[in-house]
Amino acid sequence: MKHRGWKGSGQLLAAGLTLLLVTACTSGGDGPPSPRPSDPPAPTAKAGVLRILAGSELQDMAPVLEEARKATGVTVQFSWTGSLDGADTVSSGRADGKYDAVWFPSNHYLRLDDGGRSKLLSETPVMASPVAVGVRASVLGELGWGDGSKVTWAQLGDAASAGKLSYGMADPSRSNSGFSALVAVASAFSGAGSALTEADVRKATPSLKQFFTGQKLTSGSSGWLAQAYGRAEPGRVGALVNYESVLLSLNKSLAPEQQLTVVRPLDGVVSADYPLSLLGSAAQGERDSFKRLTSYLLKEDVQRRISELTLRRPVTPGAAAAPSLPSDRRRELPFPGSKVVADGLLASYQNELRRPSRTVYVLDTSGSMAGDRLAALKAALGRLTGADDTRSVRRFRDREEVTLISFASKVKYAKTHAVPATGTQPGPQAELAAINADVQALSADGGTAVYSSLEEAYRVIERQQAAAADDRFTSIVLMTDGESNEGATDGDFRKFHQELSSAQKAVPVFPILFGDAAKSQLQGIADQTGGKLFDGTGSLDGAFEEIRGYQ
Amino acid sequence: MKRAFGVLAALLLLGGVAYALLKPSDSDPADGAVTVTGVIGSEKRAFFQDPDVIAELAKQGLKVNTETTGSWLMGEVKLNTMDFAFPASISAAEALRNQLTIKDAPVRPFYSPLVILAHGPVAEVLAQNGLASMDPATRVWTFKMDAYLDAVKAGRKWQELKGADAHPELSGSVYLTTTDPASSSSGALYLAVLSYLQNNHQVVSDPAGVAATKDVLRTVTTMQGDQKSSSDEPFKDFVSGFGNPLVLAYESQAAELAVKGTPTGDMVVLYPDTTVSSDHTIVGRTEGGRKLANLLRDNARLRELEARYGFRPQADPAAFATAVKGRTNPTFAPDLAAAKLKQAPVPSSEVLTMLTDAAKGK
Repeated sequence: MKHRGWKGSGQLLAAGLTLLLVTACTSGGDGPPSPRPSDPPAPTAKAGVLRILAGSELQDMAPVLEEARKATGVTVQFSWTGSLDGADTVSSGRADGKYDAVWFPSNHYLRLDDGGRSKLLSETPVMASPVAVGVRASVLGELGWGDGSKVTWAQLGDAASAGKLSYGMADPSRSNSGFSALVAVASAFSGAGSALTEADVRKATPSLKQFFTGQKLTSGSSGWLAQAYGRAEPGRVGALVNYESVLLSLNKSLAPEQQLTVVRPLDGVVSADYPLSLLGSAAQGERDSFKRLTSYLLKEDVQRRISELTLRRPVTPGAAAAPSLPSDRRRELPFPGSKVVADGLLASYQNELRRPSRTVYVLDTSGSMAGDRLAALKAALGRLTGADDTRSVRRFRDREEVTLISFASKVKYAKTHAVPATGTQPGPQAELAAINADVQALSADGGTAVYSSLEEAYRVIERQQAAAADDRFTSIVLMTDGESNEGATDGDFRKFHQELSSAQKAVPVFPILFGDAAKSQLQGIADQTGGKLFDGTGSLDGAFEEIRGYQ
Repeated sequence: MKRAFGVLAALLLLGGVAYALLKPSDSDPADGAVTVTGVIGSEKRAFFQDPDVIAELAKQGLKVNTETTGSWLMGEVKLNTMDFAFPASISAAEALRNQLTIKDAPVRPFYSPLVILAHGPVAEVLAQNGLASMDPATRVWTFKMDAYLDAVKAGRKWQELKGADAHPELSGSVYLTTTDPASSSSGALYLAVLSYLQNNHQVVSDPAGVAATKDVLRTVTTMQGDQKSSSDEPFKDFVSGFGNPLVLAYESQAAELAVKGTPTGDMVVLYPDTTVSSDHTIVGRTEGGRKLANLLRDNARLRELEARYGFRPQADPAAFATAVKGRTNPTFAPDLAAAKLKQAPVPSSEVLTMLTDAAKGK
């Protein structure tokens, strides 16, 4: 397997960052998760500089950190990653010497791992926000939920299973907001009085399946989730699961009819407390910087400023919260205390609870792919069939329908695999092996007909949807290493796309930039279809894995 | 290697202490002050950062550098490079002394009992159900530990308690949120109290006692799920208005706010009727470290400042009472004995390690 270089992940990061800057004013976001196992490059240690691996939603702290720099002389240099990916980075020791501190919405998952918790010297919560459900005002009215202050998870579940509530939620295997929501809803449905056990999760499974029939949008990051909500057809998505602070901030940029009312379910929430955490590997100078920075951030007036700026809640006694934050209390649902329970819950979500996916890969096997490029593609796609995946972050899921379309001057073949559920005969393993066998058999020759092949992918999906009459998360991944030089043009494709049914139009394309691909063509496809461009030029493994969060 | 790790775990267990790569005492040529460096728990951070504390120490010829940690285990141990360590319990201090082969008796400048924090309406619900009571004369709240232990063992839920239905946030099992006993002193002291109660009000001193108490310790730990690593964190959660309704904390954390006049909303401080005190005990390894220890115990100005941070100076029982005098929101118990609070003895650090392992299912 090819090891990913820093350069590549840096480019991927840059791509993600660009997107985030664009959306920074509209959402906090869990941010662009970086590929694993490599991480964003960190600057080398420098006096007065604190290198922090952080959830990119902390981007909204920039003005406060600039003020902190003036007051304390400590400059924060962020590298962004997702909360759970970040936990892996710390646990595995890859953060040692590269970063001085980490700052994620929560260290819950990190602490479950003995290797991870032993890397942290101290954790200082800086601010807090519960994970909540933002419900569109019209939906709130239809459901008779008044101002939303008395809604329970049970009501949300009933509405979802009755088809009256559709919502977007970030992938719990990558995003703390998604994971927190999953824990909250599993706790509520199981009636667990204390921290979740495996038995609780089993007990809640039927209700959870019902609840997740309402999930219409998934995402590897909250930032893209908010964008997708904004562009979805009216009525398709009625609610968003995210931090209270993100939902309230998002409202500032949403049209009046899209405004979200923040529902903190009465039967309990899981909150993020944003612990700024010092790594044991940090040198003395950086420890001093850390101490100065945390002391500054906890000052009463700074806490008030943070709350007003970010709409998160202050943690310093006596500091006033932003006036728009409601003060009625909610039960805080405990986070699982064991990694077995946490990982088991994630595996259940991916393989059993959520709506299954229909995933179409449109793979360029033109002549220019021969050699290293094709080998990289085989490795990257082959990884998605492997068993080494504790957080269920990568592997093709049980019940997923995977179509491989190999193309050059025209479509060479399209082959569909349905991954069976665990517990059935023969079970998922044989089908995963069959996908891998198809991947390893790919061969390269011919020209590059990107648009025609993409049109074929939509036709395949249309046939599959018509035949199965089912309701799946459906998306297309397009991997190409060159410019389209045969078949339909971009203009043809645009026209083709405009004429698609609304169900088809809702299918996003996630193009992967690779080799000598034309970035502008691929960005155009992502924009046209509501997808997102991923950079695979440095790390194709990373791009394929990151996209799993969106499928 | 494994043994060394075990020793380290034992050291850190009670201490709320970790340590860092620290320089031994330096003489500062500029002002002649001696710089001493050591490790403290997060609950003493604000005290050592106070300008008045810094000024008084400087007047006495000391400049103190502290490393604040939530007592995480570290990969590398350099105990012999620090001037002092200032854990939150005497057992941890004893273990440190053994590790460093220090002969001098450790110094215990101040202490603070464990308390339970709740919002006013929650305290009222506890009172209605025999889990707490308020002395009408002193307005000091007491938390009934035996009744609490029975409630935990019976799997009592908030929604089964009288008066809880008016508070939708009160649902789920009744339990206290603590820090992780494997890394933080307050969490470990909580296990000490519960084991004492479960062991028929006898301190657990042997494996048989551990066996007799382990089930309930395991229950109160697994109920909590993920536990935070330092006493600062559950306290902050409580203050920001979320977290579990019942949080174990040091009295000093609440008293510091009261003395400063910081508004604490409807926070109530409940004193467990059987409690245990956190003995902030300082182990001086160098001349400078020993000097600091003695100053913290003997210097009148520093004792006054300690009380200002909610601690109870050992040698000056009136200091705390003076500091919290007239504070009624929340109300403190200036004299623990007068409030009829019983002190549970803390098991040896060896037994406490066994209790912690049992609680964590190890």
